[in-house]
Amino acid sequence: MTNTWYLYLFFAAALVFAGLLGLLGKRNLIKLFIAIEVIGKGISLFLLSTGFAKASILTAQALVITYIVIEVSLVATALALIINIYRQTKSLDIRNLAKLKG
Amino acid sequence: MVLQTALLIGLVIFSVLAILLKDLLKSAISLAAASLLLGIIFFRMNAPYAGVFEISVVAGLITVLFILTIALTGAGHDVRESKLVNWAFPLVFVAFIVIDALVMKSLLGKVPALPSGTEAGAFGDVLWKGRTLDLVGQIAVILAGVFAVLALFRKRDKHD
Repeated sequence: MTNTWYLYLFFAAALVFAGLLGLLGKRNLIKLFIAIEVIGKGISLFLLSTGFAKASILTAQALVITYIVIEVSLVATALALIINIYRQTKSLDIRNLAKLKG
Repeated sequence: MVLQTALLIGLVIFSVLAILLKDLLKSAISLAAASLLLGIIFFRMNAPYAGVFEISVVAGLITVLFILTIALTGAGHDVRESKLVNWAFPLVFVAFIVIDALVMKSLLGKVPALPSGTEAGAFGDVLWKGRTLDLVGQIAVILAGVFAVLALFRKRDKHD
């Protein structure tokens, strides 16, 4: 069981790291948000695999469902923000946001 | 176990593709494929409810939202990605995978194990009785999301 847990955590860490690399390197706002989603996948895999390994899968499931609901709300808000930013700046480049004026 | 490992490898490959692919539409579809694989992994870990949510909500609804945004914003063709990142990403990622494989087990071995009691009852009991506050929080978060989207898309007054 413990070896299975290590395997899941290995892949969860890989997902989180891939997302962090994407956040550091990419400039497209939608791409950055996809990287955040990948980090979220790593976290939900981590939560559920730990629940699976520690014989508390039901609580882990409840936590993952809570996370998914929060994720949907977050995605809707963030994508609405991205659309508004595109309308203002006619670009999805994150560097253009550094030129904000009051 | 072999199938589960194959699913996990597929999940990581599709997630990395979602970040690396230049075409945003292909990225969004890769992300949906990754969600689908994660949902299947959840099913195989005896977590059918989390699997259903992952497949229907994340692979379905969120992909639709992403594709809608890509269609509305013209996919951001004007954004020039750094060329350095395109070849540095795989190198750094492979280096992390190697370090992860080498040190993960020993690092996790040092984490003290917390006592965990066995769970009783069905999933509904745990969700509704054990995590009641979470459900209230979920309702609040959904309402906050709805109001945020409404505020962001409201029509401007003529005086503005």
